[in-house]
Order: sequence, then structure tokens, then C-alpha cells
Amino acid sequence: MTGSRLIAIVCAIFALPVLADEPPREPLQAVVDYHINQRLQSAGIVPAATLEDFAWLRRVTLDLAGRIPSQSEVAHFRSDSSDNKREVAVDRLMNSADYAYHERNFLDNLLQSEYDGDKEWRAWLLRSIREGRSWHEMFRTMMNGNDDNSDEKPALAFLKKRANDIDAMTNDASRLFFGVSVNCAQCHDHPLVDDWKQDHYFGFKSFFARTYVTKAQLLAEKPPVEVKFKTTEGEDKVAKLLFLTGAVVEEPEDKRSDEQKKADDEAIQKQIREDNAPRPPRPSFSPRRKLVDTALSGENSQLFARAMANRVWARFFARGLVHPLDQLHSENPASHPELFEWLAREFRNHNYNMRWLERGLVLSDAYARTSVWESDGEAPAAELFAVGAIRPLAPRQYAMTMLLATTNPEDFNKWQSADAWPAKRRELEDRADSWRREFELPGENFNVAVDEALLFANGDRVMNDFLRDGGDKLVGYLLKIEDADETITRAFAAVLSREPREGERSAFREFMSQREEKRVDGVRDMVWALITSPELRFNH
Amino acid sequence: MNQLRNIIAPVGRRRFLGSAAASSAIAANMTVLDLLQNPVMADEVKRQGKRVILLWLAGGASQFETWDPKPGRPTGGPFRPIDTNVSGIQISELLPKMAANMQDTAIIRSLNTKVADHGTGAAILETGRIPEPGVQFPDLGAICARELARADSKVPDYVSMYAATEGRRHGYSGFLGSRYAPIMLTDKMVPRNLTRLEAVSDVDHVQRNDLRRLLAQRFERGRGHSSSVTSHNDAYERVRGIMASEKLFDIEQESQAMRDKYGPTQFGQQALVARRLCEAGVPFVKVARAWWDSHGQNFETHRELCADLDHVMDALLNDLKERGLLEHTLVITLGEFGRTPNINASLGRDHFANAWSCSLSGCGIKGGTVYGKTDEDGHAVVDGEAKAGDLFATIFKALAIDWETEYHLGARPIPITDFGCSPIDAVLA
Repeated sequence: MTGSRLIAIVCAIFALPVLADEPPREPLQAVVDYHINQRLQSAGIVPAATLEDFAWLRRVTLDLAGRIPSQSEVAHFRSDSSDNKREVAVDRLMNSADYAYHERNFLDNLLQSEYDGDKEWRAWLLRSIREGRSWHEMFRTMMNGNDDNSDEKPALAFLKKRANDIDAMTNDASRLFFGVSVNCAQCHDHPLVDDWKQDHYFGFKSFFARTYVTKAQLLAEKPPVEVKFKTTEGEDKVAKLLFLTGAVVEEPEDKRSDEQKKADDEAIQKQIREDNAPRPPRPSFSPRRKLVDTALSGENSQLFARAMANRVWARFFARGLVHPLDQLHSENPASHPELFEWLAREFRNHNYNMRWLERGLVLSDAYARTSVWESDGEAPAAELFAVGAIRPLAPRQYAMTMLLATTNPEDFNKWQSADAWPAKRRELEDRADSWRREFELPGENFNVAVDEALLFANGDRVMNDFLRDGGDKLVGYLLKIEDADETITRAFAAVLSREPREGERSAFREFMSQREEKRVDGVRDMVWALITSPELRFNH
Repeated sequence: MNQLRNIIAPVGRRRFLGSAAASSAIAANMTVLDLLQNPVMADEVKRQGKRVILLWLAGGASQFETWDPKPGRPTGGPFRPIDTNVSGIQISELLPKMAANMQDTAIIRSLNTKVADHGTGAAILETGRIPEPGVQFPDLGAICARELARADSKVPDYVSMYAATEGRRHGYSGFLGSRYAPIMLTDKMVPRNLTRLEAVSDVDHVQRNDLRRLLAQRFERGRGHSSSVTSHNDAYERVRGIMASEKLFDIEQESQAMRDKYGPTQFGQQALVARRLCEAGVPFVKVARAWWDSHGQNFETHRELCADLDHVMDALLNDLKERGLLEHTLVITLGEFGRTPNINASLGRDHFANAWSCSLSGCGIKGGTVYGKTDEDGHAVVDGEAKAGDLFATIFKALAIDWETEYHLGARPIPITDFGCSPIDAVLA
């Protein structure tokens, strides 16, 4: 019997989690559960129950594969009686064709959602994930990649798309890679946060201030450019190259003659104006290169590690250990400081390996809790993680789920046979992609627009793509089943991965019995009600 | 009153509606006077029934050819000013109908919004502040939808009409979430997906939604800790009501005489739709008229576009007044900026954001007033300089929305009125 199972049983008897005196050293999931349970215990809170098998598999498949599981996957998982079945399932999903697509979409939504539609950039992300590149390698390529290298070139889109607005580049780089939104410090020292001064904003901006894009769409850096700013006291200052932690990068003196400076400026203007201007040389001193070196060295690297550890946590738990995600500073402490520091440190020690982080988090007991709060009173504060997270699906994840939920379930089972799936998954990814603009990318305070409900209520595209009665679709499959009860059972299995419950079954039976004369419409509308349930809209 | 308001759990409207709905017996006995003793609820009552129609002059209309003529000056152009029915106020002769109808309208001649490129200029006048990377501010329509709409509204909260391709911008609800995003009309006069497909009978359309509701209600049990989840059912529950509002978009429902009043132009027809929507309770409607960006042939452009604006604005104000709606409906005439004093070699005027005009009519406005002053050639504001945030505060106050309301984005308070801005009381009733 494994330790976690033993704990689960003990918990069932004593209600509150029982803890060791010392935090475990590994694995990741044990460390997570130790800290989360410790805080729950001191608050006297019994967390929500653990999910049933089908529900856990559905949650983790949506999270790692970006889709719902097929019925054969659910059946296989249910019938597996081994102790480590969850680990086996997670490893299977992380090694499936699905994983890289979904991971790519997560990073694309995070980094470039405002610049939607760059296929080469998306292909680079996919390639990087498939080849197992670590997060800091990817960061280095985005910041310092070479336009002449066909593999690296698409990664430069992060900077190129922001090249006409250096303030946007500054703040986006700061908040996305380091979890620090420095905007407020542009006009004044941050009103709430002592850590962030105007010097930090303009210091960080200095790393990007020389970045420009030539007419031929090459990324380049100018020779030294001074970033000047006026303090709120009216003092004129020249910014140093200052990283967010306060680390200063010294720059060699600019020894160019005035003639040389003038010639350099003219060459740059030419590159910005003309297609065939000579290519810009790489400067001997590159602030962006220095930024990467500084950000990844020694204690400075804490910010980079914390920011992504926090984002990956929030991906699975609906909020960060530090929340909001772009407010990593001393005035906004983590809900579980020791756990947060451990995750950031070990993420770095594991070479910024996203898979290591993801695998451990989804194997934790905290991840496996039901999202239903059945005890008396209101659910405990979200930052206690006592109850499972409820997260709206991202556009492609929702479209993919919708496509698979409404496909003939026997086809879905067949595609999953080893050889066929990668090609099929790719085709499905393209189809899901064509739906992405119909749905909002969830941000903080996500709520469903009435436009989305209208689309499902009256859109002919929904009718054509999801509710057709052809043999390749769920509606066509269900029409071949004669028994009404069986039809309902199979519809629930296909869409929600579960059996209908009492009350649901009777309502659906009554709905179908009123439509014996027009069974096609009845089955179609039954499927409609299932796919428009929030149970499909959210990962819960 | 500086009322902190959390986005997740707004205190104002929800508390009022929630408590009223939960105890309808008590509510039935409550007099309005009792309600008004509670400041939050008093605000609530005042706000109810307020509406906004924004006439958006996309591309930037010239203040010289509309609200701030400069007769006899080198920057003044060929058109003359004319007297209005309010003594002491003159406007351009291109707006003769409005000149006879200024008693409900205030002109602000002293906007200085500094940024004169279309994208950023529009963003500033849409959100009342300079855009900030990484923060998605809601626009005026979304803020008004949130502050003025009933939680259980059966009609859309925010409708935006814009037919031209140039300068078309989607409204955005930013961090308020898409509950307050606009229903956008572009190519058709009716929003998409408003009509039931023929393949689905009306009975099936209703009854399949009953099945969906059953699943949703069961799913929501024990999951009330997520407001995202409840928003899903809320959106679907609004579908039938919004479908029923399809008629509101159909001006065939109006008499020919009424349609003639608004005129045959698309702008006129959309303004008529806007009136129909407001009458039915839609709190915010934007009607955009393009394209005022007269870098060349400014005077010919304005001769044509001002005639349309003048006719439609006059018809709209008269119609609202005759229906008793004008005192509850604020009509805003605004674009992303004005146009340069200097007339260029193509007889055009270029982008100019340092000294320009807009107008406010109806609800909460002291009609027949002019606020602010530009110098004799219109190069700069010399009196009453107003930023976009001042205009927004004025709009909020006119609508009885607490202009000092703050939303919260995590720990960060975000005031609906930009820092350092306040209402222009001189134009408020």
C-alpha cells in the first residue's frame, strides 16, 4: 500500500489530514500535499473528497491532452486495479501526441494571444516542446535567437510584434517572464509596492530600448541609446541597465567617435526604411543578451523560476500560490510561502523542466479533489485549495472537446489505436483551430458572453459541425440504438464520460418519449442539452 | 462617497436586486422614501432607467465645422457661424437644425486629449484614459452596461453598430468580463444568431433549454463558489429574451412617418434602432458614423457628413423628448479627436487632439450651455481644459453613476474615472 493511500484511509477515519513533522524532500506531489494539508489542518478544515476515477481521468486528460478522454480510455482506467494507475495514466498522456499540442496552446495563449495567427511561431513552440526544450532555453531563444537560423527565427516574434511599442515590450516581458507588472512605476514609484521604483521600470526598459525591426523584418539592436526619465520630483535621470531584482549591468564605455555615431545612425535609418539595406551587425554589447544572462544567474533567477512555477500552478488550481500572477512582490505574499519557494527552487534545479512540474502537480491529492463543496457553509477561501478548481476551457480546448464529444464514439475509440491517433489528432487540431475565434480566451473574472449562448442556440455552424445526424457523428450513432434508455446512457457517456443520475434520466426519458414521432430531432436536441451543459464548458 | 467595489462581489446593484427578490413581500411594502434612506439603494433607484446613446464620429470630426466655429480667422474655413435658439451661442452653419434645438444640449469646447493617432486616440476616448500594456480597461459602454443594466435584463446590455469598414473597432469589456461585451452589428441591421433555425421548432428550442437548465442546476450545486459557472447558465437564460428583442432591430415596425423623420440614411436608420433599443431598456447603444478623416477636401466632406449628423441628431433628440425619454437618455456626440486649425494644401484638416469639441444632450445635462474656450484661432484651450477622464466623470455624474467608483483588479484599485479627473459641473443640471 502506498503512503498516499494510507494517508487517504487514515483521513477517512480521523477526518483531518495527518501530517508528518517534517516536510518530505520528494516527490513533488508529496511536498505539495504536505504544505497544503498543513495549512488546512491549522485552519481546522476538512478538504473536499477525492474524485471518482472517471472524473479524475477526465480532468487530467483535459489538462494534459487538451481534450476529453474516449470511452475506451475511461473503461481501461476504471478496470485497472494497480496502485500506480494514476501515475501510469499521467505518463501515458504526457507521452501522447496530444500533450505537445495542448502545451503549445497554453504557451501561445500566455505569450502571444494578442498577436493571434502566427503559424511559424506556433510551429516553433510545438517543435520546442516535442524536443523537450526547457523553459529557460525557450526564453533565451525568444530574447536572443538568430534571424539566420531557421529554427530560431520564429521565436523572435515575441519581440518583433512588440517592436513598435517598447513600453508594451517592457511590461509584457516583465510580467510574462518574471511575474512583475512594472507599468505603475512608469510615471511614479509604485504606490503600493516598495520593491518597484521608477528606476526599475526605466532600468528594465533599458534592456529593450535599443531593439528595433528592419524593413526586411530582421530583429536588431542599436548601439548605446540613453533612456532618460523625469522623476516625480522633477529630476532628470539616465536609466542604468537595471534588472528587476536591483542587479545592475555595467556597460563598457561607448568609444565611438562622433562621425562613427552619425554613420551608425544613418545605417540604422536606412535599414528601417529600405528593403535591401545592409544587414545590421550584432552589437559588441547586447543588452538583451545581458538581460538573459542576468535573469538566469544566481539569486536573480528566482523571479524567472517563481513566475513560471506560479503560472503552472494556476493552470491546474485556477489561482496562483501568489495571486494575481503578475504581482510577485513583497507586499503580496504567497498563500503557502514554503511550498512556493520549494517549487521555484526545485523547478530551477530540475533545469526549468515544465514536464517535471506539471507531472508532480497533477499527481497531488490537492489536484484530485472534487470541485463540489458539500459541507455546511460557504466553501473555504480559494487560497486554501480545499476544494477542486473549476476552470473555463480555453478556446481550442473547448472546440476540441466539442468535436470529440459529438463524434461517433466508436470512431473515437478506433482512432486511439496507436498508429492512427497522431495523424487524426493533427487533423482535429486544425479543425479546433478554425473554431477558436468563436470563444473568448478566459482571463481573470471570466464570464460567459450571451453571444456564445446565442451561437449555440441558433448558429448553423453548431448545427453542421456538432449536431448532424451522419454516421460519423454522435447523433447518427445514437439513432441506430433502439432502446430509449440505452440511447440516453450512451449519450451521457459520450459527452460527459458518466452515467445519467436519477432525475436526469427521468427528465431525458420524458423528453424523448414526447418525440417518438420525430426521433431525429429528439436525439439532436438531447445531445444539444448535453453539450451546452456547464459540465462540458468547464474543467471541474 | 468613495465606494470600493469588488468586481467579483459588487455591492451596489446585486445587493439591491438580491435582497428585493429574496423578500418580495417586504419589497412590496417598501416605499421609495425608505429606499432612499440607504445611500447605496438611493443611487440604485436614481440609476435605474438611465440610458446612453453614443453617436460616434469615427475618424474625427472638425470642431471648426461643428461646435466651435472661428469666423473671419485664417483657420476658420469658408463656412459661417449661425445663431442658435440659445442666445449667445453660435455654431457652424452646417448644423442648422441643431442650431434651432440647443436647449437640451451642452457643448464642451475645451477637450485636450493630446494623442492624435486613430488607434490610441479612439482607445483614450473609449476608456477615458491612456491605454496601459497588460491591463484591459473596459470601455464606456461596458462600464455603463455594468452600472446601469438590470442583472436579470431580458434585453441586450450594450449594442454597438458600425457599418463602415474604415476605423471599425469592436467594443471591449476588458477585465469586467464578456458579460458586458457589446453585441456588435456590422454587415446586417440585426445581430447574428438572433433567429431560430428553421430546423428547430419553437417548442423544441424551449424544451431542450429546459433539459440544459436541469443539467446546469445540478452541476451548480456545491459549485456556487465559482461565479464563472453561474455566468454560463445566466447567458443561456438570456437567449430567449434577446431573441424576442429581434423586433427592436426592425424599423419596419415603425410608421413610415417616423422613419421619414430620421431619414433614409443608414446612420438615421441606426439611430432609430438605437431609440427603439433604449425605449425597451437597453442601457447603452453606440451608433458610429464614418468616415470623418478629412485630410483632403475637409469642407466638402463636412458639408455632406454634417448634414447627416445635423438631421439625425435633431430627429433623435426630438423623438426622445416627445416620448418622455430624453430626461432619462444621455446622447453623446464624440469622436477620437478633432481636426487641425491649419488647412493643408489639399484643403484638408489633419488629426488634432489639443483643442476640440464634443456635445452632451438630455439626461442630467444643463442644456443650452457652452463650457470651455479655445484661443481665437483654435490652436489651444485657453479656458476649462478637459481631459478624457473629465468627460467620463461628467458622463457618469449625469447618469447618477458614482464617478468615484473603483473596481478592483486583484489588489489594485482601478477607478472608473482616471486619476486626477472630475466632473464638469457647469454642464450638469
